[in-house]
Amino acid sequence: MSAASGFRTAEAESVFRFWPRHNEAIYERLESKHVWLEQARRGAANGADPLEHEMILNIGPQHPATHGVLRCVVKMDGETIDKSVLDIGYLHRGIEKLAEHKTYQEFMPYTDRMDYLSPYSNNVAWCLAVEKLAGIKAPERAQWLRMILCELARISSHLLWLGVGLMDAGAVSVFLWTFKGREDLYRIFDEVAGARFTVSHSRIGGLAADLTPEAFRLIRQFTDEFGKEIAGWEALLNRNRIWIDRNRNVGTLTREEAVEIGLTGPNLRASGEPYDIRRFEPYLFYGDVAFDVPTREEGDSLARYFVRLEEMKESLRIIRQCLERLPDGPIRADDAKRAYPSKDEVYYSMEGMIHDFLYTDEGVAPPKGAACYQAIESPKGELGWYLQSDGTGNPWRAKVNAPSFTNLQGLEHMMEGALVADAVILIGSIDPVMGEADK
Amino acid sequence: MPVDVEHTSSPQEGAPFRKALDFFFTAADEASPGEKNPLTQPTTHLPEIIRALAEQFGEAILGVEEYAGEQTVLVEAQRIAEVCRFLKDEQGFRYLADAGGADRFADEERFEVFYNLVSFEKKKRIRLKIRVDEAALTAPTVTGVYRAANWNEREVYDMLGIRFEGHPDMRRMFMPEDFEYYPQRKEFPQLGIPGSLPLPPRTPEGPLQRDPFPTAHEGPTPKSYEEPPSQIAREA
Repeated sequence: MSAASGFRTAEAESVFRFWPRHNEAIYERLESKHVWLEQARRGAANGADPLEHEMILNIGPQHPATHGVLRCVVKMDGETIDKSVLDIGYLHRGIEKLAEHKTYQEFMPYTDRMDYLSPYSNNVAWCLAVEKLAGIKAPERAQWLRMILCELARISSHLLWLGVGLMDAGAVSVFLWTFKGREDLYRIFDEVAGARFTVSHSRIGGLAADLTPEAFRLIRQFTDEFGKEIAGWEALLNRNRIWIDRNRNVGTLTREEAVEIGLTGPNLRASGEPYDIRRFEPYLFYGDVAFDVPTREEGDSLARYFVRLEEMKESLRIIRQCLERLPDGPIRADDAKRAYPSKDEVYYSMEGMIHDFLYTDEGVAPPKGAACYQAIESPKGELGWYLQSDGTGNPWRAKVNAPSFTNLQGLEHMMEGALVADAVILIGSIDPVMGEADK
Repeated sequence: MPVDVEHTSSPQEGAPFRKALDFFFTAADEASPGEKNPLTQPTTHLPEIIRALAEQFGEAILGVEEYAGEQTVLVEAQRIAEVCRFLKDEQGFRYLADAGGADRFADEERFEVFYNLVSFEKKKRIRLKIRVDEAALTAPTVTGVYRAANWNEREVYDMLGIRFEGHPDMRRMFMPEDFEYYPQRKEFPQLGIPGSLPLPPRTPEGPLQRDPFPTAHEGPTPKSYEEPPSQIAREA
């Protein structure tokens, strides 16, 4: 049996057996990429250096330090990275294409699988975008609850970043401690949504269900106790010689550079640009609560560490205020054409059941020609959806502005000139999630 | 004199006008007529900037759409880089938050590319949009103005097949180069095209594998190694 006869194979044209054109293009790019660094070094060495050790190294896609399936093709001179080309897409599922074939509500659980370290933020980003497109107002209680759960998701994401980041630097024990914190959060999400990881709890026009008293107890307990844990980590890390030496002056970006290459989230704020969607375009009730946007001027990996640690504390502050100010009331918009009716209605009235069927079958249909962009500040940065409607129950076009995608572009720039040992620290410090970057 | 973007309707004045664009998408009505969209942000209301754009570029600004308080400026495709340069240097839109494309599935000007620009100082967000014809399938790049547009334009090329002229690195973003389709186009099936990409060989020296999906329905999956004939197949 002759298999794969239609594909270009290795013998004839290429040294690459698998995806020959793709790999050729990457290496061509690596060769032709214009990097000031290389030029500067050539000028200094005045021609060929007899001691030069040039080497091309593939880091990933199957490497634990790349946080998923990121492939970095780097050209090294000794231990220094001269040029780097990132190859992403190994987790590409065509999530935008999928969205076009789902109703708005049906697509919401897919968003859990994008930035799977903070599923709740993604749910809220999608629901807010659809609500903007269809002009739906979620009740106040739902909005406050969304804020609480989004901030918990932020802490959960930052916890993973901290644990994994330190593991990249060689400290495995912190990974176990942060996962203890994540375990507490999983327990909260389990109580809230019935799922520990992929919560799918937010609904268009509100939430799936109100929180139980037990959930509130767990959240209160978490907010009371978590501050102490952060203090413990600060005591361990803020003056830790190894941690600081590995992070200081690694991947330094000035404010102008960070804006120019389009970094977002904590990475942008660590370079001194206080751009936070919660302040820039306050959604939910972020305009009504007091919190600081932590920024740093240094722009290196250490600054990114400090920014994220501060953010966790600010999140606790926001959650406490939300718990204080949480009003009573419904948790979903009372409009059966735009949001799911409550289960009481569905089980005990004919209209309720019909509405439930219709909402599942077709769901909300924003006006034809409507198009809007709604962004939230997810733990990784600006997470936005640009939606276009053709007047039916499925979006015509759903374009996600994924913060990990945006940040990875900056990583390519940051890796050039760094040591290869720092590449691992850099990947950890910009905190990419490939599920989101690869769409 | 301030120009009210929403109500100026005559194109002769040279001011930006809101015209019902005759294409597939025309925002016919608001989601909730008479009510303000609950999620409208002041950041996307930009009459001064649109006026400045219209003064500077005149004919190149083709129109302004508005929905949910968001103003989208439709720009002539060939002048998008100039418009971006003006917005960046003169109006303070230093940050490119997002860029992407969409397939309108129309006969003329089938594709569109949008740019989402942010000004930190003015607290404004503007969306520019250009239209690209299916016959030409090229658009000028804005990577000369915003370096951040690099990957976004590559993504548009990967998903829709629009080539950006002057782009330093016009490779596919997510799909491998060996893939020959543009998946975000409307005619591309949701399930993908079976067998369009090879799979790795099963043995180190074996040939590349085909996607087993089509052969699973039509015949036996090609194998790169010899295996004893199936008992079931012989009986059938």
